Amino acid sequence: MSVKCPVCGKAAKSGTAIDCARHMFGTGDKAHRAWFESQGLSYIDLLLSQTTEPGNKAYVTVAELIEKAQKD
Amino acid sequence: MEKHLLRITVNDRDYELFINPKTLLVEVIRDHLGLTGTKRGCESSSCGCCTVIVEGMAVKSCSVLAMQVDGMTVTTSEGLEKNGKLDAIQKAFLDNGSYQCGFCTSGMLMSSKALLDENPSPSVMDIREGIDGNLCRCTGYNSIVRAVAAVARGDYREDKQ
Amino acid sequence: MKCNVINTPVHNVDGIAKVTGRATYTFDVTVPGMLFGKILRSPHPHARIKNIDASAALALNGVRAVVTGKDTLGIKQGIWRRYKELCDEQILPLEKVRYIGEPVAAVAADTEEIAEQALDLIEVDYEVLPAVYDPMEAIKKEAPEIHEGFERNINVTRHIEWGDVDDAFDEADYIREDWFRCSGQAHACMETRCAVASYTADGKLAVWTSTQSAYYHQVLLADVLGLKESDVRVIAKYVGGGFGGKFELDAAQFCSSVLSMKLCKPVKIVFTREEDFIASKRRTPMYYYVRTGVKKDGTFLAREARVFTDGGAYTGMGATALYLTGFFHSFPYKWRGYRHDGFRVYTNTLPSTSMRGFGTPHATYCSELQIDLIAKELGLDRIEIRRKNGHTPNYEVPGQATIASCGLEQCLDEIEKWIKSRGELPPNRGIGISSYGFMSGGIFNRFDTPYSFSSAVVTINYDGKVDLHVGAQDIGQGSNTTLAIICAEDLGVRLEDIRVHSGDTAECPPDLGAWGSRQTLMAGNAVKMAAGEAKRQLLEFAAAQMSPNIVYDLDIKDRWVHLAGRPERGLDYFEVVKKALRGKDGQRIMGRGYYTPHRKGMISPAYSYGVQALEIDVDPETGKIKLLNCVTAHDCGQPINPLGLTGQLEGAISMAAGYGFLEDIPIEDGMVMNPNLVDYKLIRAPDMPETEVIEIETYEPEGPFGAKEAGEGLTNPTAAALATAVLDAVGVPIKELPITPEKVLNALKEKKAQ
Ligand code: FES
Ligand code: FES
Ligand SMILES: [Zn+2]
Repeated sequence: MSVKCPVCGKAAKSGTAIDCARHMFGTGDKAHRAWFESQGLSYIDLLLSQTTEPGNKAYVTVAELIEKAQKD
Repeated sequence: MEKHLLRITVNDRDYELFINPKTLLVEVIRDHLGLTGTKRGCESSSCGCCTVIVEGMAVKSCSVLAMQVDGMTVTTSEGLEKNGKLDAIQKAFLDNGSYQCGFCTSGMLMSSKALLDENPSPSVMDIREGIDGNLCRCTGYNSIVRAVAAVARGDYREDKQ
Repeated sequence: MKCNVINTPVHNVDGIAKVTGRATYTFDVTVPGMLFGKILRSPHPHARIKNIDASAALALNGVRAVVTGKDTLGIKQGIWRRYKELCDEQILPLEKVRYIGEPVAAVAADTEEIAEQALDLIEVDYEVLPAVYDPMEAIKKEAPEIHEGFERNINVTRHIEWGDVDDAFDEADYIREDWFRCSGQAHACMETRCAVASYTADGKLAVWTSTQSAYYHQVLLADVLGLKESDVRVIAKYVGGGFGGKFELDAAQFCSSVLSMKLCKPVKIVFTREEDFIASKRRTPMYYYVRTGVKKDGTFLAREARVFTDGGAYTGMGATALYLTGFFHSFPYKWRGYRHDGFRVYTNTLPSTSMRGFGTPHATYCSELQIDLIAKELGLDRIEIRRKNGHTPNYEVPGQATIASCGLEQCLDEIEKWIKSRGELPPNRGIGISSYGFMSGGIFNRFDTPYSFSSAVVTINYDGKVDLHVGAQDIGQGSNTTLAIICAEDLGVRLEDIRVHSGDTAECPPDLGAWGSRQTLMAGNAVKMAAGEAKRQLLEFAAAQMSPNIVYDLDIKDRWVHLAGRPERGLDYFEVVKKALRGKDGQRIMGRGYYTPHRKGMISPAYSYGVQALEIDVDPETGKIKLLNCVTAHDCGQPINPLGLTGQLEGAISMAAGYGFLEDIPIEDGMVMNPNLVDYKLIRAPDMPETEVIEIETYEPEGPFGAKEAGEGLTNPTAAALATAVLDAVGVPIKELPITPEKVLNALKEKKAQ
């Protein structure tokens, strides 16, 4: 089953949660940002870690949350 | 402070001035004589905008006291032109577009002139090193190097004109 | 089209004044009775001003006035006048200082020495606040607040996107991520910021100043001083360099005006070189993250980039850098999906502003170095990968811009040829390349001018000589010459027939001035229109005499008024002018021209393109770089002033190469560590490479005579070419500017260890 963006409903071609996280970061508009805050995360801090450290730690964190949201 | 008498010849004109002995040559030239062609671009003697020729040598006029050149002959960019005729180096600067904003130009002209007087056939590296003390933020120097080389080549000798 | 004046080598119209020492800069201006001003500056990076006591200073013999923020209207100003929240700078602040060197008070005295002494006698009571100096720190939750109401100190954000980025990444065979860091840079104009302000009892203010736009300063000064624009006259006949650093309101202009208004006496303020380094503005430092997806064959698919820029203490013009770096990071290539997020962050350091290239040298450096790394990884030819993905004529950057002329491909061909001609290179020598592009004037009107962006007036006098009044500003780039050439060409007279008037708001029409590479195109078009109008008036009269079928059958070339189809039939231009004036009851022949870009995409009406190759030697023992040859294939449309163009190119190389490997503004605890020309390294004559320019002529339909931008875009490629040259020479990518010997050595050590 492909994972859909909890904000706008867009699904990545690959259907993976990590690509969905990528989409959410990349869009980065008010609505998408608000979702991060609603999960108790800080959009800017995630963005900072994603753009300053190698690896995809922030994406992974968000992907897990998206999957969780999908299940609920 | 007690004033000292300074006798100085600038651009073929004799001056007698009473000055504070701490006055820099550049201050005498600009502020006392009103020859503002000579510029200042720093306080650390590192830009060369203030270069003038003293007794045939290029000198940064911000780095000497006026009293040190008492009795000597000074040439500034205003003094390069003779009888309404531009000096070869001035013509070469025009033809090669060797100036942009022009703020470094007076100093560049004087360094170039002194270099050519001392070494009439400099290599490109000689020229580059000859103007090493003069900063220019606009031109990238190469047009200045071409101008000096053109003069050295004899492009501006009287008989050629 | 055959031209008589355009593209011939000419002396600049101000050449004689400059080679004879007669050109008078603001630095040289003296006005009778003039006082000298000095500025007291904050020693703290972040502090509240509790009290300022100037009584001891005022008691000093020869001191005429001391002013602080309390003597001003307290207006927060900025250059993006349309966006009030971004007008955030009081030049004499009332409450807080936000960087070391920020003005807190100004003194006027009989001499500079007395003013200097007075500074020591002013007592300022500060409450020191915690400070932060790096955008990556300032954006953190726990960082001190620099301006109220800016969450996480984020000053401006900017998102640029087109295409489906996620989809495009999905199709990529190879994805690469890199991190880069770009330093700041000082404009280091040889003439430091300076101004002479003279306010008189009739309520009028005249300000001589070193500016890139007399009109901007007229408006900005009127705003902050509460005067009518027309009561402020700004004069800037000669300007000792600008490079993007001289069109925001600066403390020399503001403080001298405030002092002069208080005293009704002229006041002169000249920044020392140190003040110019610590408290004028600078090129924006940036942290860049770039992720790029390509196909195996090198086709570019998607790019996603994020940039955090160090805005320093105030907005000024700096926010535009965010947009330009975002847009030009895509340049000059085609992307299916492109996404760029920019964050400009306040810090307690000197503010960042525009500087030649304005965000684009950074963007180009990160992009080009990464492209070379991708080509290496995939085993592709570096010219080929650029050719495959480069812009082409009539390409549309989706939703952003329409490219008309574009000579990128020819530029690549020329550079490829040159590289081949160099043959096998000795060890530790390399050739770097960089493609680039730039705009010819921005179309945005954030300054909110009601006037057209450029205007000009052409007047033909009785003797046939022409007065050309322009608001464009010559800051050494030679715009007066370029505009005179355009005028002469269009009118059909010679360059020596034109006298240009510029740099004085009292006699010249308003114009946004010298920035964003706009003057050749915008002011050029205005001049062309004005000249065309004057010519039409003249030809109308000639037509009555020569009776061709229609007026448009007549033309003027090289002072000869003739039938277009039969050039031998004609009249002497000077005679026609004389008769026309008499025939028209003495009415002067005068044409007005103006230009404002409309419906010209989002950014600019036209783009310049080019490719640069830079050959260097790297000393593997010391890490030192020696620049050898720099060849640039450049498409600037129709060149107008070839000598000027060469000068722009060489000047740009010296400045941009300096940015690449020498220039930096290290800041420790908020303090600039190298505020003088000994420690701040500029390129000097022996460091310059040999330079060569290959002109690729295209015809830009939007430009005057087909011309476009030719000076600023040239600053974009050199740092990039330097980085790719180091990669080519010794095989290490240096992802942090400037490329110092130390960084090269460390990278070489690391490489060995692997
Ligand atoms: S003023 Fe800079 S060297 Fe003299
Ligand atoms: S011409 Fe501007 S500094 Fe040399
Ligand atoms: Zn979404």
